[in-house]
Amino acid sequence: MNAQLQRALRSPALAFVGLALVWELCVHAFAPSPRYLPALSAIAQDAWSVWPQLMRGFGRTLLETVLGFAMGAVFGCLCGTVFTYSRWMERSVFPLFVVSQTVPVVAFGALIVIWFGNSLLAKVMTAFFLTFFPVTVNTLRGLKSCDPQRMALMKSFGANRFTMFFKLAVPSALPQVMVGLRVAIGLSLIGSVVGEWFGETVGLGVMLMEAMNADLVVRLWVVMFACGLMGALLYGLLTFVERRLVWWRSES
Amino acid sequence: MLELVNVWKRFGEAQAQTVAVSGVNLRIAKSEFVTLVGPSGCGKSTLFNMIAGLLPPDDDGSLLFGGAPQRDGQLLGKVSFMPQRDLLFPWRTVLDNAILALEVEGTPRKEARERARAMLPEFGLAGFANHYPHQLSGGMRQRVALMRTFLFERDLMLLDEPFGALDALTRTRMQHWLLELWARHRRTVLFITHDIDEAILLGDKVLVMTARPGTVKSETVIDLPRPRDPSVVLTPEFIGLKQRLLAEIEEESQKTFAQEGTAS
Repeated sequence: MNAQLQRALRSPALAFVGLALVWELCVHAFAPSPRYLPALSAIAQDAWSVWPQLMRGFGRTLLETVLGFAMGAVFGCLCGTVFTYSRWMERSVFPLFVVSQTVPVVAFGALIVIWFGNSLLAKVMTAFFLTFFPVTVNTLRGLKSCDPQRMALMKSFGANRFTMFFKLAVPSALPQVMVGLRVAIGLSLIGSVVGEWFGETVGLGVMLMEAMNADLVVRLWVVMFACGLMGALLYGLLTFVERRLVWWRSES
Repeated sequence: MLELVNVWKRFGEAQAQTVAVSGVNLRIAKSEFVTLVGPSGCGKSTLFNMIAGLLPPDDDGSLLFGGAPQRDGQLLGKVSFMPQRDLLFPWRTVLDNAILALEVEGTPRKEARERARAMLPEFGLAGFANHYPHQLSGGMRQRVALMRTFLFERDLMLLDEPFGALDALTRTRMQHWLLELWARHRRTVLFITHDIDEAILLGDKVLVMTARPGTVKSETVIDLPRPRDPSVVLTPEFIGLKQRLLAEIEEESQKTFAQEGTAS
């Protein structure tokens, strides 16, 4: 019983409820202008009033985020692998990757609209642009940190490069790759929201812009909560996958 | 079986050159258990890597395996090699770690697992087939590594201080267990250690290496009767051998010490 209580006290759900309580109390006690801090109930009410639009926006942004993330993940893993095994590529192309990341994604917005039009693909590309880099870097690092003694052992068994890669290098890089993916999923969400600012009619980013232009402060909070919820969901899902895939992490 | 003729290994160029192994001659006959002792940093591991085929020896000597000279990398896959660390893959179960070499060779997984499963009791791992390395004790992990080496059936087994990291009691148990195993299978073994007792207890022949640059200083045939039980270490013959070898190694250790003194 006691252990159960302790676990409940430590769970994040309790922290959320606590924060919500403090929030409501503050609103009741100090009655700030809703411009600065609206009551949670007001936010919920506002969310309910635009429920269909909110759901559609949520779905759309989720789709963009997931697609951008998937593309970035695949591309990042490929590039990380190529850079690991080709010194030449690492020296010549990798610096370009670094430079590309120093340009803020907002600066690319207009260009992306010109290239990809006002399409789903345009938002996916902004999300992709933010995600491929952390995945590349972490894949590269993961593959390079493969234990040389284990590689020697595999070699002494007569393993070729192919076997070595799939039986040793990939599994040992996996924990590091997962680190990159966890960073990337959050960035992908940012990418798709920002991408929507450059012209779109559906999406959380669109709702955010509209709320900002119309000075709907409560709506801003609604969208913020929606984004937070999506981020947490995706992150949670990824953590779940990671636990199944690289459960041996604890060892080293 | 294995013969090293005037094998050298130097690292670096001209002035900054270090000679790790110099003019090593040794010969291991089939089914022989040869142990190699030497002070730390004497080039044991370099010698080992050369025999495993991981490092090419310098051109002035030759390495013969089964009578044929071996060129760069030709030894890979011919010698079953067990390094100091167990190097188990944390994502593989005991059984799958044991069959790693077989898998690399291309043996179908099912067949390889069957063979490994049959060997588990002999290695004291019965009932642990599906455990993961982090669930095992140090001694068990080492036995899994040894089983992996055993399943990679090659004429020569190279063991590099396999029990070095174990506590004294576990080590003694493992030594006797290894002797029994060897008596049954009679593989040719080259066993590196820095523990003289271990070298005498296990070997048919003890080779002592000199301080860096390493070379074989002496070769002592151990004619203690087999099977050797734990009490053999208390016999006068054993103690006599130990005293002699200890003196030799002590001499080499002091040289290493003196070298380090002048270097700094």
